Amino acid sequence: MKKIIAGVLAVMMMATAFAGCGEQTPANGGATGDVAGDESKTSSDVELFGEEDNISLKVWGPDKSVDLLKRQCDAFIKLYPEKKISIEVVAQGESDAGTQLLNDATTAADVFGIPSDHINKLVRAKVIQEVAFADEVKANNSETIVEDATRDGVLYAYPETADNGYYLVYDNTVVKEGNEKKLETVLEDCKAAGKKFIVSAGDGFYSCMFIFTAGLKTDGIEDDGITQKFTDYNEDEVVATMQAFSKLFHEYSTTFQSLSADKIPSGFSTGVCGAGIDGSWNVVADQTALGDKYSAAKLPTITVNGEDKQIISMFGYKFIGVNAATKFPRAAQILANYLTGEECQLQRAEELGWCPSNNVAAQSDLVKNNEAISAIREQAENSVPMGNVVQQFFEPVGNLGNQLIADKTDPSNTDYMKELLKETLQNIKDV
Amino acid sequence: MKYIDYKQLNPFQKFAYNFTDFFKKLPGRVVGFFKAIGRFFVKLFTGIGKGVANYVTRFIKGDFAVKLSYLIFGFGNIMKGQIIKGLLFLATEVAYIYFIITFGWDNLSKFGTLGTEVTQIVSDGPFKKTIWGHNSMLILLYSVVAIAVTLVFLFIYIANTKSAYKLQQLKAEGKHIMTFKEEIKDFLDGKFHITMLSLPVTLIGVFTIMPLIFMILIAFTNYDRTHMPPGTLFTWVGFDNFADLVNVATGGKKGVTFIELTKWTIVWAVFATFTNYILGMVVALMINKKGIRLKSLWRTLFVITIAVPQFVSLLLMNQMLQVDGAINILLSDIAGQTVEIKFLNDTALLARATVIIINCWVGIPYTILSASGILMNIPVDLYESARIDGAGPIKQFTKITLPYMLFVTAPSLITQFVGNINNFNVIYLLSGGGPSTEELYQAGRTDILVTWLFKLTMNQQDYDLAAAIGILVFIVCATLSLITFNLSKSMKDEEAFS
Repeated sequence: MKKIIAGVLAVMMMATAFAGCGEQTPANGGATGDVAGDESKTSSDVELFGEEDNISLKVWGPDKSVDLLKRQCDAFIKLYPEKKISIEVVAQGESDAGTQLLNDATTAADVFGIPSDHINKLVRAKVIQEVAFADEVKANNSETIVEDATRDGVLYAYPETADNGYYLVYDNTVVKEGNEKKLETVLEDCKAAGKKFIVSAGDGFYSCMFIFTAGLKTDGIEDDGITQKFTDYNEDEVVATMQAFSKLFHEYSTTFQSLSADKIPSGFSTGVCGAGIDGSWNVVADQTALGDKYSAAKLPTITVNGEDKQIISMFGYKFIGVNAATKFPRAAQILANYLTGEECQLQRAEELGWCPSNNVAAQSDLVKNNEAISAIREQAENSVPMGNVVQQFFEPVGNLGNQLIADKTDPSNTDYMKELLKETLQNIKDV
Repeated sequence: MKYIDYKQLNPFQKFAYNFTDFFKKLPGRVVGFFKAIGRFFVKLFTGIGKGVANYVTRFIKGDFAVKLSYLIFGFGNIMKGQIIKGLLFLATEVAYIYFIITFGWDNLSKFGTLGTEVTQIVSDGPFKKTIWGHNSMLILLYSVVAIAVTLVFLFIYIANTKSAYKLQQLKAEGKHIMTFKEEIKDFLDGKFHITMLSLPVTLIGVFTIMPLIFMILIAFTNYDRTHMPPGTLFTWVGFDNFADLVNVATGGKKGVTFIELTKWTIVWAVFATFTNYILGMVVALMINKKGIRLKSLWRTLFVITIAVPQFVSLLLMNQMLQVDGAINILLSDIAGQTVEIKFLNDTALLARATVIIINCWVGIPYTILSASGILMNIPVDLYESARIDGAGPIKQFTKITLPYMLFVTAPSLITQFVGNINNFNVIYLLSGGGPSTEELYQAGRTDILVTWLFKLTMNQQDYDLAAAIGILVFIVCATLSLITFNLSKSMKDEEAFS
């Protein structure tokens, strides 16, 4: 089924691309509309611009991507020869874009890139415009990523990449083939080779896997917009999983090291590190450090009470949002949709190494042949989206990680683990 | 106790006497401090009262032109021949009225509610359109600007009436009325202080005082993460934020955290200040010792750490103290086996000691600098006569060097102490607050109050709470420093040693 949709979408993309080249842009969206569930118009239909003309838009993107963004915007302008469009691309780091927008939305960019954890505050301040082509976005992207940018049933941003997460990276001369599937064997191989296994266990972004894996996952935010909600969970199971992690880390205390993820590439180049759980932003650094020895995989499993459990991680996405204060809301929406389309995502994957969020783009050979990107995508399927996590989550969960690996902690002490879990959850919710 | 009795006590008794004396007098001093504040306000209000009285008398005694200049600016000046000055006054009035009509009143009228119209989102086909309501933050900001402009305007208004009345008096006495040119010249002569100070005063007003007022006002609103402009409005809540703070200090885990962190903050401030001060002074003394060669080389070497920005050295130190950091590697090499000490991540005691020691490394150079300057300034004849009288090196230190140092540096010591209470950089960059613990709410073992508040407020955009805390911390620090400063010898006896 996926492949059929993918095929149809690919044809549709080709069609729109050709349509853009012609002098006339006929309303060719009939078939597309059905797929996207939209009202018989594609997002590239010129009629959608309505009254807007003499359009000038400002786009914010991170420094590295400005060049490519400019080219993509030029291509966008060529799609609509009937309209007079000018687009200015300005470098603006994604992590600051949200703050800038809150400071003064009227001078901020019309279309901007943001990480998923900024969506909450932008939605609360009403400075981000709802997505106009929600059905199309939903059809083209996986459910988790759409959910990540959805608040109260409304989609607020266009998915741009699916790569703000972490995965298992290892030296394939240390970890034997097949052994990367289980945390126990990864640690065993590292120990045998006298190398370290590095995880940033004191950082809530990583240490959340100790509770997520056991089924205690974050589940959006309460209506007050502040309090974290959790899925239902079985306390015994969570405690058992925490104990399993703690026991492993204590057993391999000479191999396991809790350090920031940036120590993994440097560990590889000095030959200290054998494997680690590293962020997607370090892919290039890891590849340079390891060369041919570089291997990547989704996170391994861990044995809890004799059962192998897939480690669940936290995963963030990058989105493109539309400023609610834009003078050209229609043009801005159409541009944002274009920039997150399959074609643009593939270009980004090729030139910048950004993992596409689009289902079709993700199936392309380019992506499939890239070991790191496919490992990250695989892990994304076993993950919890980051956008719906409150800030207070990270400190207590980071502490939970710290306590699990602390020398003084006794992994077999069930009461302590229960108490630790209780205190951690209380610290997240205490307002 | 009489002076002669005091002199006969032994050092311990003297200390005990001074110590109890300090605490006996402390309540009186605190009261005195608040009385001084009270006196300031009394003075302020009587001043305002006098001003108003003068304003009325001028009107009664003034002639027709003066009376009219109460309404039309510069009328008095124009009638008495000061045409340009009069026109300038008039221009200010016109400009102010224009400002209020086009901009000021629009915001000032909403100052009481901080806006009532909420931003709305309406559908426009598949698209959405935002209809902007009021922006509470901009209303507050522009209102502060409008109020400041109004105050300046009032000042000019009073100056205008004064000027008109003065001209009337001059004319009645048959004295010369200055021309515009003469008045301009006067600004380079008799009123030169105004020419010199007007620019700095304006800049301080615009860039320091106005933002400060804006931030103080925020403490009385509910500008937090659930009230974010432009999407939602915020409004005045009076002293609710301060009440919340008291709740923070009493209720649940936040209360425990607040008390724990306050204790550690004070310990930290005391240690951070005095280790730096004492050690810095010791090093400076050693460098300044007679017979030490290459003094300037040593001084430069110690001070060179200042050349590296503080945050860089702190971040580097943080890396060096990790389990795989340079320090552990060095220790491993010395010991011949793997050493993995978690300096910042294990026990509270180790992390706190580490933070204080690293702070010495960052802070001592500054003390060395100022101490060597002061030490070089102590008159040599003091030491000579001390030696002739038979004083040993220790006696010389306690009787000459230390009093001299304390006298000169007491104000800077107080500043350092207050600065260390709020020493964000060292804690945040070095340990990040760790080691973490589940016993505290959103804080680690080395977090001091400021870093905790930073985590609480900035991550969650509770600007109202942050402003309230800022005000409280300012009041506490200002009171403490004023009292201690007034107690210090440098204040009581300004003329000594000069």
